[in-house]
Amino acid sequence: MRFLDLLVMSVNNLRRRKMRTVLTVLGVIIGTASIVVMVSLGIGLKEMTMEQYAQYGKLTSIEIYGEYYGGQDADPLYLTDDVVEEFSRIPHVKYATPILDYYVIAKQGVYEGNLSLKGVSQEYLNDLDIGEGELPSSSDTEMRLVVGNMVYRQFRNTKTNEYYWDNMVKPDVDFMNKPLFVIFDTDAYYQSRYAQDGENKVSPPKKYMLKTAGMIAGGEEDYNENSSGVYVNIELLKAQLKKIFRKNPIPGQQTNKKGKPYNYFIYDQAMVMVDDMEYVTEVQNVLNEMGFQTYSQMQWLEQSQQQQEMVQAVLGGIGAVSLFVAAIGIANTMMMSIYERTKEIGVMKVLGCPMGNIRTMFLIEAGFIGLMGGVIGIVLSYTISYVINHFGGVGMLMMGIEGNISRIPLWLSGMAIVFAIFVGMIAGLFPALRAMKLSPLAAIRND
Amino acid sequence: MAEEKVPIIQVKNLYKIYRVGENKVYALNGVDFTMYQGEFCAIVGTSGSGKSTLLNMLAGLEKPTKGEIVIAGKHIEKLTENQLVTFRRERVGFIFQSYNLLATMNAVENVALPLSFRGISRKKRLAEAKKYLKLVGLEQQATHMANQMSGGQQQRVGIARALVVHPKIIFADEPTGNLDSRTTMEVLKLMQKIVREQNQTLVMVTHDNQLAAYADRIFHIIDGKIVKIEENHHEEEKENRQEMEENHPEENEEETV
Repeated sequence: MRFLDLLVMSVNNLRRRKMRTVLTVLGVIIGTASIVVMVSLGIGLKEMTMEQYAQYGKLTSIEIYGEYYGGQDADPLYLTDDVVEEFSRIPHVKYATPILDYYVIAKQGVYEGNLSLKGVSQEYLNDLDIGEGELPSSSDTEMRLVVGNMVYRQFRNTKTNEYYWDNMVKPDVDFMNKPLFVIFDTDAYYQSRYAQDGENKVSPPKKYMLKTAGMIAGGEEDYNENSSGVYVNIELLKAQLKKIFRKNPIPGQQTNKKGKPYNYFIYDQAMVMVDDMEYVTEVQNVLNEMGFQTYSQMQWLEQSQQQQEMVQAVLGGIGAVSLFVAAIGIANTMMMSIYERTKEIGVMKVLGCPMGNIRTMFLIEAGFIGLMGGVIGIVLSYTISYVINHFGGVGMLMMGIEGNISRIPLWLSGMAIVFAIFVGMIAGLFPALRAMKLSPLAAIRND
Repeated sequence: MAEEKVPIIQVKNLYKIYRVGENKVYALNGVDFTMYQGEFCAIVGTSGSGKSTLLNMLAGLEKPTKGEIVIAGKHIEKLTENQLVTFRRERVGFIFQSYNLLATMNAVENVALPLSFRGISRKKRLAEAKKYLKLVGLEQQATHMANQMSGGQQQRVGIARALVVHPKIIFADEPTGNLDSRTTMEVLKLMQKIVREQNQTLVMVTHDNQLAAYADRIFHIIDGKIVKIEENHHEEEKENRQEMEENHPEENEEETV
């Protein structure tokens, strides 16, 4: 028999007992919807946790700290350009950047702020999420800043001597259109201002005019990992510092046992970007084996992910129970149908219907119940999901952050429908085999 | 005529034994006969005589305990269930006592059903089915469902369904058992006529001697044994018919087929 003929026959048989078909399908609808909604909650929970972690830093980044004192007989582990270069050769590392933190005083009009300039590689700069303005380009010869969207909070009004935190008035610092005047030699600056005696008095250090290339995306209140930082190209920052301090030690840099500065930079911190989240732990282990202290969002996330996966499995299991009940319903319906159609099946066998076709016909019927239940179940799931997300406020309640707690990805809908069909056919298999083996003699019997 | 006969069904020493508790019941107790192509054979016997068992075995619905059944040169007692299904699909038409039309299909679709088992496309098989519906005089009722037709009409659909596959042999199990006597005559005549025209073998099981009289040969079966094979010649048939008309004059007023 042609497949299309079988399909038409099966569907006609389902239509013959509409009420029974509807009730059986209803069971599958509820089963599918409960699995999908439960799993969608699990996914929502997991993704929300991930988003929460991502706020505090990229999930693919690993922070690395140098070891200044070393062990009893080990040399200190300094983070230098060579070491960072080595990091970038670890498999799955997209790039590695040193982070050179340097404290400066920045002025604009009446406002003055203590800022930390973060010298980072151009690759890191390129990854920043820029709102207003543009990224500094690698061909820049002058240092240009990328300013975090919350940096304004670090400024104070020198006339009233009030910080942002004192009166919550936003300092009127215009990063984009006006330059900042930046003092690198802060020691000299304080000495020139606050030294009492004439003998210690030094001339005020030179101010450098720095322009802002761009602002980190986000509103004045939107916290993210970059919102309080001021980023510059590390090569330009190093050149600038060398130019200012010449042979003198640069503040914040390590000195050797004799108190002399090294002729290379030693960083407090470096950062490694991994190409995919799943390799973060692997790379972090390599770094730890090299002796460095490391930190990543991932290590916390992984712990909570294991928890989330358990929650998801439990939720999915609860849903699966109702689909299992639905499967029993399908099997029951199919058995009933076979008892009812014993004679008809016999007639078909007498007329020469291939045995396999009879089995296939019943499997199609059962599968079709699964398909209908699955499709309608998915529609129902999206509806329930919408209601939970928009009227429940469950997300706020459970996670304390905003976002959709129930998320149905496309793969879940697809899987659910396929699974519903599969369950239907499994439930229909035994009845179908039974139908296939029915004796054709039933057709001859006259009752 | 007798010299040109081609054997189509050969039964040799056929036994069917049922066990009921400790006892053996001989439903068929050593049956031998031959049926020829183009013959209309009737198997006549009372209830429990083994006539239905014999028909089931000829159609490959039941396995004999012992003996041989050769149909068109093929030993069907050795076939598996799957092979038997194929055998029926290819060679056999079947007419049931209770018509057994599928309730989900209309008349023409019911007739086309056995063709669909052969994988013939819907368009082709419906065209073929319509031809046979016309042959049995039901072209007007082609789209009627089974429950919208009278018993006689349903049985005529059943006949068309048996004929549509161009079978070598048609088995009919009390085909008129559920019909009133007038429709019985119509249906019988129809079967007789079509089988003659197409040179097919018709094997009919009945308990009614008068119906059997329409056949060319009548096999009398009692307690699982063929006791008598009656030859019905053309002249005798006419006599029989006259006799029947005398007995049931009201049944033969209109014979329109």
